Amino acid sequence: MKNISGSIISSLLLLVLTQPLAGQDTLRTYGPRIGIDLARFAYIFADPSEIGAELSVDAEVYKNIFPVFEIGYCYISETGDLFDYSAGGSYARAGVDYNLLSVTDRSVHHSITVGFRYGVSLFSHRVEDAFVPSAYWGDVIVDTYENNLTGNWFELVGGLMTEVTPNLFLGWSLRYKVLLNPEMDPFVTPLLVPGYGRGTADRGFGFTYSIFYKIPLFKR
Amino acid sequence: MKIGLLPFLLLVLQVSCITQEICDDDSQSELVARFKTIESTITSDTIMSDVSIHGIREGQSDSLLYDSVSTSIILLPLDPNLEQSRFVLNMNKQNDTLVVTHRNEVYLISYTCGFATLFNLENIGYTSLMIKDIEIKDSIVDTELLQDEEHIWIYY
Repeated sequence: MKNISGSIISSLLLLVLTQPLAGQDTLRTYGPRIGIDLARFAYIFADPSEIGAELSVDAEVYKNIFPVFEIGYCYISETGDLFDYSAGGSYARAGVDYNLLSVTDRSVHHSITVGFRYGVSLFSHRVEDAFVPSAYWGDVIVDTYENNLTGNWFELVGGLMTEVTPNLFLGWSLRYKVLLNPEMDPFVTPLLVPGYGRGTADRGFGFTYSIFYKIPLFKR
Repeated sequence: MKIGLLPFLLLVLQVSCITQEICDDDSQSELVARFKTIESTITSDTIMSDVSIHGIREGQSDSLLYDSVSTSIILLPLDPNLEQSRFVLNMNKQNDTLVVTHRNEVYLISYTCGFATLFNLENIGYTSLMIKDIEIKDSIVDTELLQDEEHIWIYY
């Protein structure tokens, strides 16, 4: 609920703060912006529980164009009647955001962005005590199955970011994701592809809610 | 304002999508065998009468899979514990033994249904009191049984 109320507040602030204020500095601040995805922490309460963290770095290298790099890690584990399962690993995404918000005041850094990402995940998943039924011959228990995998996917991203105090931003993004290699494991489809989501679906949606700090290297 | 409410709407949608998962898929892999007759070079489907079948299970008592039935098709469960499944086919009071050699691979059907065995048929041996020939038509035996899927033809 904090995420939602924070997002609503950030959106309202965006609408208010996009109007230039009298006597405001008209120089634009440039520098790398480092963010942490707060929504990741809510996934602890998902079923199965997902533990992870995600950091991002972006910077305005040209007018309204922001190359973005995101890295993260996540891990799930669950115990079931038919088998126990765990998956975990790290991931990285690279892409570009484009700011659609027209700049009426160069010192205002709010943004409404659209963009894309290409993601790669290196992870492993493991099945233990898998029950394979055979009513006639007798059931089989498979002790352990483990596989190291690489996931690749593409994302279309739309987002909104508000500068709540100088150089401190809050923002959210919505993502439409397409898994490029859903058949990465022909025997066990991974329940989690870190950075992508459920490996059982080759299309999916994602959501981030992040806090960012921009290191003000120079103004121009 | 409307954009700011979007995460809330998504959360509502996500919560409303939560449903209880139930397994509708079969987790048993069965070999489908069709009976055929062969007269000179012409083959045709046939219904065999008074067919009884049991598997040869080491250390276990025989248990009938079919008991004096009339049928044109039989479904045989293969042994996931071994790479060979043996069956005794009794027809007209005569026994033929069928030895199916297969490679076994365990695979996940779904996270709701769990695991099953995929059998890759390699060879079929048989005694020929009644059986004239056996032909493998489809070597992959898994839980997905398509319409008209047949793995072997048994010729009489």
